[in-house]
Amino acid sequence: MGQRTCGVVVSFLLLLGVQVGAAQVRQISGRITNAQTEQGLPEATIAVLGTQIVAQAGSNGQFVLNAPDGDLNLSIRAIGFKRQQLVVPAGQETVDVALEPDVFKLEEIVITGQATGVEQRNLANAVSTVSAAELTRAPTPTIESALQGKIPGATIQANSGAPGGGLQVNLRGVSTIIGDLEPLYVVDGIVVSDVAIPNGANAVTAAQTGGNPENQDNPVNRIADINPEDIERIEVLKGGSAAAIYGSKATNGVIFITTKRGQVGKPQFNITQRFGFSARSNELGSRTFSTLAEAETFASDTALIVSLYQPGRTFDAEKEIFGHKPFSYETNASVSGGTENTKYYVSALVKDDGGIATNTGYRKQAIRSNLDQELGGGFQLSVNMSGTHSLSKRGVSNNDNTGTSPFLVFPFSPNFVDLRPTQAGDSLVASDFPNNPFERSNPLQTYQFLKNDEDVWRILGTSSLRWSALHTGKSNLQFIGIGGVDYFQQDNNFVSPPELEFEPNDGQPGTVVLSKSSNRNVNLALNANHTYLPGDPEHGSQWTTSAGIQFEERRLFATQILGRTLLAGQTSPQQAANQTVLSRLEPVRDLGIFGQEEVLLADRRLLLTAGGRADRSSANGNPQKFFFYPKFAASYVFQRPFGGLDEIKLRAAYGQTGNRAAFGALFSPDTSGTIGGNSGIFIGTRAGDRTLKPERQKEIETGFDATLANGRAQVSLTLYQKNISDLLLKRTLAPSAGQENQIFTSTSTLRNQGIEVALTVQPVQSKDVNWVLRTTFFANRAKITKLTVPAYQTGGFALSLGTFQIEQDSSPTQIFGTVGVDGNGNAVAGKVGDASPDFQMSFSSDVDIHRFTLGMLWDYKQGGDIINLTDFLYDLGQNSKDYLEPGGGKERFARFNAGFTQPYVQSGTYLKLREVNLSYNLPDRLTSGLFGGSVRTARLSLTGRNLLRFTPYHGLDPEVSNFGRQAIVRNIDVAPFPPSRSFFFSIDLGF
Amino acid sequence: MTTILKLPRLARVALVITVAGCSFDIQNPNTPDVIGDNPSRSVVAATANGILIATRADVADWALKGGILGREAYRFDGSDPRFTGELMHGPLDPGSRAFGGNHWAEEYAAIRTANDLLAVINTASALTAEEQSATSGFAHTMQAYNFSIVLDAHRQDSIPIDVGTDVNAPPAPFVSNTEAYAHVVSLLDGAATELQAGGSAFPFPLPSGFSGFNTPASFLTFNRALRARVAVYLGDYAGALTALAASFLNTGQPLSLGVYMDYSAGTGDFANPLALDPVSGENVAHPSLAVRAQLQPGGQPDARLTSKVVTLSGPRSADNLSTQLGWIRYPDPNTPIPLIKNEELILLRAEANIGLGDLPTALTDVNFVRTTSGGLAPLVAFADPTSAITELLYNKRYSLLYEGGHSWIDYRRYGRTADLDGFDRAGDVIFPTLPIPTAEVQAHQ
Repeated sequence: MGQRTCGVVVSFLLLLGVQVGAAQVRQISGRITNAQTEQGLPEATIAVLGTQIVAQAGSNGQFVLNAPDGDLNLSIRAIGFKRQQLVVPAGQETVDVALEPDVFKLEEIVITGQATGVEQRNLANAVSTVSAAELTRAPTPTIESALQGKIPGATIQANSGAPGGGLQVNLRGVSTIIGDLEPLYVVDGIVVSDVAIPNGANAVTAAQTGGNPENQDNPVNRIADINPEDIERIEVLKGGSAAAIYGSKATNGVIFITTKRGQVGKPQFNITQRFGFSARSNELGSRTFSTLAEAETFASDTALIVSLYQPGRTFDAEKEIFGHKPFSYETNASVSGGTENTKYYVSALVKDDGGIATNTGYRKQAIRSNLDQELGGGFQLSVNMSGTHSLSKRGVSNNDNTGTSPFLVFPFSPNFVDLRPTQAGDSLVASDFPNNPFERSNPLQTYQFLKNDEDVWRILGTSSLRWSALHTGKSNLQFIGIGGVDYFQQDNNFVSPPELEFEPNDGQPGTVVLSKSSNRNVNLALNANHTYLPGDPEHGSQWTTSAGIQFEERRLFATQILGRTLLAGQTSPQQAANQTVLSRLEPVRDLGIFGQEEVLLADRRLLLTAGGRADRSSANGNPQKFFFYPKFAASYVFQRPFGGLDEIKLRAAYGQTGNRAAFGALFSPDTSGTIGGNSGIFIGTRAGDRTLKPERQKEIETGFDATLANGRAQVSLTLYQKNISDLLLKRTLAPSAGQENQIFTSTSTLRNQGIEVALTVQPVQSKDVNWVLRTTFFANRAKITKLTVPAYQTGGFALSLGTFQIEQDSSPTQIFGTVGVDGNGNAVAGKVGDASPDFQMSFSSDVDIHRFTLGMLWDYKQGGDIINLTDFLYDLGQNSKDYLEPGGGKERFARFNAGFTQPYVQSGTYLKLREVNLSYNLPDRLTSGLFGGSVRTARLSLTGRNLLRFTPYHGLDPEVSNFGRQAIVRNIDVAPFPPSRSFFFSIDLGF
Repeated sequence: MTTILKLPRLARVALVITVAGCSFDIQNPNTPDVIGDNPSRSVVAATANGILIATRADVADWALKGGILGREAYRFDGSDPRFTGELMHGPLDPGSRAFGGNHWAEEYAAIRTANDLLAVINTASALTAEEQSATSGFAHTMQAYNFSIVLDAHRQDSIPIDVGTDVNAPPAPFVSNTEAYAHVVSLLDGAATELQAGGSAFPFPLPSGFSGFNTPASFLTFNRALRARVAVYLGDYAGALTALAASFLNTGQPLSLGVYMDYSAGTGDFANPLALDPVSGENVAHPSLAVRAQLQPGGQPDARLTSKVVTLSGPRSADNLSTQLGWIRYPDPNTPIPLIKNEELILLRAEANIGLGDLPTALTDVNFVRTTSGGLAPLVAFADPTSAITELLYNKRYSLLYEGGHSWIDYRRYGRTADLDGFDRAGDVIFPTLPIPTAEVQAHQ
């Protein structure tokens, strides 16, 4: 039984901490095996009930236990297996136990509080858990993509295909309109940062001008820094009822990550070596002009076209840039082990994912050390340290206003123009590339020489001290103090050399943006947990009381130096003729106090929970005021209520959480600038509001979990309703007042209703064949139930190009556009789509046949419309691949010109084969000869990610967001980085 | 059991100390607070220059968009088709602040910044009464300039004028166009009085675009120039001549004499966004400029065309539009953009005289500009007021090309936008006005 940072330890002590110091007079030995495969279970724990005696099985499942004389009650557990309890009569000295796999994870301890948990069997909320094996089935660059399709209730989508990540995780629908939109990430008990910091590409793309104030740099969410290989498991608290104990930051749910820890035993080495490659999974292509006459319709400069056009000769610039099939590799190594007093887990990762585009890619190196030390006197110290370095090269993509982003250049560059360099070789210079006669840049040249490097160093350190202050047979008291620091520095080096074709256009050839951002999250928490077991320690009632205080400080400091006008070869902003400096400091301090009582009654069939948290924060208008978030939950387990049903649990939970505005909403910032050497300040566009308070979510969820057919199937169904009040809104002010907007706490309300279903079936379960099928279904409907401001449009570029209309009694993600022209020639606004999916499903199948394992995961999303402006741009440029086909680009554009946005609002339905893996465990007779017989396990795997994709969507990928992470304004497609698929061959060795 | 109590207490004490060391009342760490009571000289200086920076926010964009609306320019921007769509054939989208809903928010932000300064200027103990008066005159003049741009862009609409400093107060009511112009006139006239009482120097430096106009007395001649422009727009020709007499109009000085908005590629400053490469830049000149340009005696086109526009080696096209003319009006990122200049004042005087029926006097001024600026032969006489206006409009178009929507404003005032060759494609329109921005309309509902 592992000592997980939170949760499990409590139960562990509850199980074990009954009596101390009983006489140890006999030795019991034996072997714990997997009942299905008959292989040894190395991580099983064997505990003598009523004592503190515990032993851990060794590498082959063998154990030795020193125990007192007389009849013993043994409890044998292993993660992922059903617990067994048996009586060993006096005199018996060998015990062999076969554990049944716990396919439905009923015995898994799941967190319910800051540092407490209950078994899944009793859990009153639909908390999803994802194990290490599920996470790393197919290699993934970042942790969020490893969760895709695995959590009913979660919508996890990439913002683009650029290397290094950039995904959005959304749990149970839209919980806010302008508040914080990402779940809270907690790693080993401390809150870590998941900010996304722009890389400075805007200096070249100027996407943020032209009337759109939103950044479109395609930033990476910094949760990408967590190494998936280090994760033992992930628990996802999806809504307010489960997450209430995290208070005012938990409205979007909590993703609770637990890293791997050492086990008692001799050192175990694991090495995974992966080789693979990636390739683009889609291309747009462009129009082929069949005759010179047709080509001449492309542009008015006939002489130019005549000089370029040759019948039948085309060039594929898209492939030249994005058609690479780069090599990737990943090496993971870990060692873990320990004694009863000291346990360790140390790992290292080196990874290099090539990018499908010229000069792109993602590299990561990580190390982690997790140590646990018994200090005596009931004290246990745990220290976790991890360091990560990543370098992503992301090119330039997304919207621009300067003709620099490739998919904004392709629409206006016909395929009869050759943009390739005039010579091959490694020593290309900018002048080897022809100028693009049709647009402002040659993207081949841009990708060859433009640099967009994001270099991140991150250190995450946590120390926790547990003190088992009291443990008698009935009463256990534990104090846990946790301190943690999450610090990272992100350096962005964006260099656009002066020789690039587009660079002289602004009169200031050469652009460099040097950004340095650091973020520090400091967590301090003190928890006290008390468990009271008045009766039988395994079946009697159990009272768990916990209380604590938690302090958190976040401090983001981002600086940027922008230099314009560089001489050839210069890359430092210091050399630039024009320099602009930006700096942004965002400190936030929070303090929370919480308490919770959990009672297991009636032979542990009934769970009752009540708790609450009070939070204050510098982000609120009144930083002194505490906001209170209560929670209540109950569940009851019926055993064999009728035939065919093994067990059914009915559950209901209620809880509240909060959510806050982005930093700075309290303030009215002035803007400063310089004119002719004089500095000046003037009014900023945003008016602050000193009366802001957090949004409040009240969630009720109810459902059941049933085990059927003698443990062969499990069904879970959850219904929830989230009512969000005190909705933060951005009020558009009369611009004549001199300021344009203000974030304020309105009395508007938003509602989400949803259903989550999970079905797990084990059709075959035998010694050699084990087959598990999982299906999930998730549907959510969001509605603005009350809106106290006039309906308004937000996001996008203009009504005619698709925008989002916020209005009462409508979905917050409804897309508005023009639906024709009225008698006066004015555009008529109307609903043209909705970005929220109708429903999502996933299907997974894992078959173990003897030594082979075949697994796959399909991810299906129905609906969720996308504003496809890339398509629009190709049609505008008369260059879409289907331009002249029936229903093609020309017709779409004509329809648009007649006043209809509809052709460019397209269904984002997709079915993706997210993961597929085939692995083979080498038999002992093969491994015994390897490395002098020291190899314990060996496995070969073939894996693939995103191999297949079916979608009616007309763009590169239906997972797209030009504006990055957005609560509402997602699903806008403007010249994104294309998606890719990857294949890997892996060798896992255990020593 | 003693240890049971000790550790938590210690830990709690440690936690309390840590927490107590951190205030939860965090002030804005990034940007200065809004100007407050009794501002220092440096705050007054920063705010006065801030008014200019806020004003500058729309000057180049107005020259471009006003230029497109008045068919001086096209913008072939592959990334944004609205330059050749919405602005040229509509429909104008009042919700889009860069297009249909443009030329509003920036102007009102400058007006608001001036209001913030005006609200406290009389409490500035570091300033003399004269300096306070000079500052007020400066701020009111810049407010008038910004109101006049809003009016130029929204000629057929009513606009709010009674704007204050509190965004949570009910929005200022719309008043009629006539009332709004009267407000501009009263701002300028009030500012003139304040400048006259403003002593010999402003208590702040002004950028080089104001050199020659950087004392209360010389700034007053800029104030009067704006006043003359408004008077002409209102048809108050006698008033225009009065204001012109007090302005910096001077045929003995260069035609370029005037007040300019500074741009700079230097550190911290803002580069002139119209200074694009004439061959590859997005902004191009309207083909009719070459077609309609009158010829000099030697057969070359009007020198005002050749000094501002260059003929490219081949045509450039987008969205069924085509031109072979590129802009060289603003050759580099440091080139300033005029707010008003001597050349315009001379033509305003001509226009006022035409309005008053004094064609011969008007002819003198028109010929002065024709010959001095365009290299054209002088005209002998105006046949009638209509042809005088035709000739005046031609000269204003070429003299003030790409400087602030002058063609659109001037041709529109005489109902002659049809003369602007604005119908390159079926369905193209020269709009009479921009709509009131959606945000403004909704805030009033």
